[in-house]
Amino acid sequence: MAALRPSSRILGLSMRAATRPGAVFTRSMASVSEAPQEKASNMKTFQIYRWNPDTPSEKPKMQSYTIDLNKTGPMILDALVRIKNELDPTLTFRRSCREGICGSCAMNINGQNTLACLCRIPAESSSDVKLYPLPHTYVVKDLVPDLTHFYKQYKSIKPYLQRDTPAPDGKEYRQSKEDRKKLDGLYECILCACCSTSCPSYWWNSEEYLGPAILLQSYRWLADSRDERTAERRANLENSMSLYRCHTILNCTRACPKGLNPGKAIAEIKKQMSLS
Amino acid sequence: MASIVRPSLLRQTTLAARAPGAFYMRTAALHGSSKRSAILPPGPQRIEGGVNDPAPIPTPSAAHGSYHWTFERLIAAGLVPLSIAPFASGSLNPTMDAILCSAVLIHSHIGFQSVIIDYIPKKKYPGLRKLFWWGLNAATLTVGIGLYEFETNDVGVTEAIKRVWKA
Amino acid sequence: MIAQRVGVAALRRGAKPSVFAQLPKVAIAAGIQARPVTTTKLSQDDGHQILVNQRLQRPIAPHLGIYKIEQTWLGHSAWTRITGCTLSGAAYAYFTAYLVAPLLGWHLETASLASAFATLPFAIKGGVKFALGFPFAYHFINGLRHLWFDLGKGFSKPAIKKGEMALWISSILGGLFLAFGL
Repeated sequence: MAALRPSSRILGLSMRAATRPGAVFTRSMASVSEAPQEKASNMKTFQIYRWNPDTPSEKPKMQSYTIDLNKTGPMILDALVRIKNELDPTLTFRRSCREGICGSCAMNINGQNTLACLCRIPAESSSDVKLYPLPHTYVVKDLVPDLTHFYKQYKSIKPYLQRDTPAPDGKEYRQSKEDRKKLDGLYECILCACCSTSCPSYWWNSEEYLGPAILLQSYRWLADSRDERTAERRANLENSMSLYRCHTILNCTRACPKGLNPGKAIAEIKKQMSLS
Repeated sequence: MASIVRPSLLRQTTLAARAPGAFYMRTAALHGSSKRSAILPPGPQRIEGGVNDPAPIPTPSAAHGSYHWTFERLIAAGLVPLSIAPFASGSLNPTMDAILCSAVLIHSHIGFQSVIIDYIPKKKYPGLRKLFWWGLNAATLTVGIGLYEFETNDVGVTEAIKRVWKA
Repeated sequence: MIAQRVGVAALRRGAKPSVFAQLPKVAIAAGIQARPVTTTKLSQDDGHQILVNQRLQRPIAPHLGIYKIEQTWLGHSAWTRITGCTLSGAAYAYFTAYLVAPLLGWHLETASLASAFATLPFAIKGGVKFALGFPFAYHFINGLRHLWFDLGKGFSKPAIKKGEMALWISSILGGLFLAFGL
């Protein structure tokens, strides 16, 4: 541990330099007159779910880390990165883009699924921040869930354009502005699995129920005017499990970090299935 | 004991003095939420097929899919005026009463069915699922006969509720 | 573990000579990592078997115990189910009992039930009526809301939030009215 300290301090300094602009901004918002260096430390405790596959018999536990928010960026992901750099390099989590476009850092923060990179650290409340992996997923390690089945389900809905007739002009499949507009609010989905793993129905029946994320994607292709396998796509949902385990609980809509509406998309599928 | 504790304590305080962003770690056992809700546990993870194979698609059956859903929604929508009518008119004539009772029975049956489908997965608990499924069918049949008896021998469901309510 | 950490630290510092520095550059370029552990070569099937065994060990991430309570235990869906099962359960119990009553000598016909109910004190009467009236009001009002959802309407987040509030208030008031207002 002692051997690690000097290096991590160097790394920590460079981290701080990197996060400086944002940090300075928030500080000046809070107190204009005070110099940033004299600011008292603002400690925050993060309780994080830990489980190590190397010692599988050990039960999952919560580990607390306390860090100074004045030296940390504003988002939960910043805190996680800082904890991993400076406190505990064994802490494991997924992250990539840090701007809400890759969906890697999806996790349960204070009881709500969201992306760690888009979730601000609740600085004003004094309570601890609790971090869990996505609910009712099998845990690979710490905050890393296994999404294999989720991706297999995504593959099962054939998430690509299926078409037999060639384009009329021989160049591209054209779409009216109105038809293109139908895909807004659907194509933005990044498959972070926040919505699916917030859905109690998906908790109990994830093996057969597709879940909000995959159904939103399914609707994205059902709604596409260029796709010609709409009937086949609908037939694949004609059973009691794939689609109809949705009971409009709406946790999905409340969870989506991108502000999409999987609940509405599923309702539209049900409507379409019923009327066609 | 003290000599063992001291150096680490000293190191921590010096560290804290060096870096004002002091930090602490401690662990606590998880409050057993993984155990508490395990009434029908999902069991260990098993994945069918390779990671690149799509999840299997069930054989299409509209009777369990869209027809079932549409039927269920129509019954539910029909129950809205049927259950308001007794409030408006005091009670219902025998025919309307019988229609209301059958609709409620079907609505209840479908509701219980979806509870069973949700909480007792066919794959993991096939025996239990079958037991509950046929148990529900038997119960609904019994209640159906009971309702018929009540409708023919007694005053009718809406009238009965009214009389007990006003008693 | 310690040896590994020293290795990592040395790598991060990058200045001091270490095992890594002595490795020929070609080896590093070829993706060979020097690690103080021994490795064995596995066939693809054996590797997959390790993964399968690892999966069997994995815990399930906590769910009902940690998710926001207003979206699980206090959610409109859970309560629609609870209220529906209460009402239908009561009806199933009553009509099954009614069917077997003649065999057991019970008196469950309306007249005797009404006269028995009339003898109960006011508080118990009101309590029983509320215990049935509230589930009815809740299930009825949320049923209407669900029919509205099924038309693809009312899915915006503020609408959901307001609807949830309105549902609880109106169904409690409705239950109280059914229990004491009729």
